[in-house]
Amino acid sequence: MNNHDNNHDEVLAQRLRDLPAERIPPAAVWERISAGLEQTPRSEPIVVASVSPLADAVARRAPRRHWPRHAAAAAVVALVGVASVLLLPRQPTAAVAIEESSLQHQANTITYQYRQAMATIPQENLPVELQPALRELDASAGSIRSAIAQSPDAGFLLGQLQRTYALRLELTRKGLNPAGLST
Amino acid sequence: MKASIRFLLAAGVLLAPFGSALAQTAVNRTLPLSNGGRVELSNVAGSVTVRGWDRNEVQLTGTLGDGQRLDVESSANRVAMKVVYPRNSHSSRGAVLELRVPRAAELQASTVSANLDVAEVDLRRLQASSVSGSVTARGQAGEAELTSVSGDVQSQLRTSRLNTTTVSGEIDARGGSGEVSANSVSGEITLDLGNVQRLSAESVSGDLGVRSSGLQPGGRVNLETVSGSVTLTLPARTSAQLKVKSFSGDIRSDVGQVQRPRHGPGSSLDARIGSGDGDIAIQSHSGDVRVSLGR
Repeated sequence: MNNHDNNHDEVLAQRLRDLPAERIPPAAVWERISAGLEQTPRSEPIVVASVSPLADAVARRAPRRHWPRHAAAAAVVALVGVASVLLLPRQPTAAVAIEESSLQHQANTITYQYRQAMATIPQENLPVELQPALRELDASAGSIRSAIAQSPDAGFLLGQLQRTYALRLELTRKGLNPAGLST
Repeated sequence: MKASIRFLLAAGVLLAPFGSALAQTAVNRTLPLSNGGRVELSNVAGSVTVRGWDRNEVQLTGTLGDGQRLDVESSANRVAMKVVYPRNSHSSRGAVLELRVPRAAELQASTVSANLDVAEVDLRRLQASSVSGSVTARGQAGEAELTSVSGDVQSQLRTSRLNTTTVSGEIDARGGSGEVSANSVSGEITLDLGNVQRLSAESVSGDLGVRSSGLQPGGRVNLETVSGSVTLTLPARTSAQLKVKSFSGDIRSDVGQVQRPRHGPGSSLDARIGSGDGDIAIQSHSGDVRVSLGR
């Protein structure tokens, strides 16, 4: 293997490492993958390389013995993507979709109500003492909404979202009257 | 001419600290309060120290900064004191205050950036809050509510009802029992408690570390995080039904069998500890959960 190949492999390996590790598919997708795998005979190969340019490139450019981990990682990533796409139309019932949309719908409703309430409160001239916490609350609300999108069964996250929004509203209201902060 | 300018500048530099000291005003107020009465103190910046004593009096000592004044309202059952700051007083020094409160009083103390330190007290009720300052409480209180937005909260109170909240500050509470509630957004929560009847701890991204010397019969524990880890330590003699669910985190437990789906992330645990009297529920989205028995 020459230097050019080495460099190229390093680039590929880096790209594999840079794949988003925290992007976890929703639980429903995992369930469908699981069901699909149960139904798929072991002898039936899942042609991952042909639908994943990255994995395909890995397979072609390097001797197989040098790429077991990277190829496996690419295969898993591709498998999740392919399986989620292929298996989605086959879902036997709409229960999962309804549940997912229900939790997100509730989260959206809560967020809408929160934004309506915030729109009535002037945001200017809030005390500097509050700014870091307000930013923290906004970021946390975003994290919770992402978690809700990932896990449609995690009903407890709605309570977390409500608590975070309620705290944000309370602090914003208190911040309007700086004298009120210490009372 | 130049020499006299230099002299004036030097004199100004040397006298500046004395000017600042002169701008401060000493405070020394003592007011009677009937048994079980209420004391309120609010101060924006500087520091507030509270100590208990065996008199039916409230005493406030310390210094006020430039342009500040102390407003006092008092009756037999209530003493309310507030440091009023001049407008645009960001550059002035905060008030440094020490408050003495009688036993069995109810205390409500609040600050913005001032640290709040309460100790050696025996109160019926304590409410201590700050925005960016820290809140520290030691002694005894029938019930206590400790809050800071971005400051840390530390409690070594002997109390049977503790409620503590932060956004980004850390919570460290030791010695509470009975009903305990701790909430944060990104701050870490560490609880080392006695026997609890109701224990609730929630955070979004802060880790939860909870230890209790026992769960009272029929007691309930509820721990929740979004991405923070959860560690719960209870004695081996605990009697409770344990339910744990993590949507993408890992679960380790001294009791029960962790259930994991054949494919994909997440795990859950449903186990009975002892005769299963109480209820323990732990939920995390992506944080790991550890349950230990045998404290």
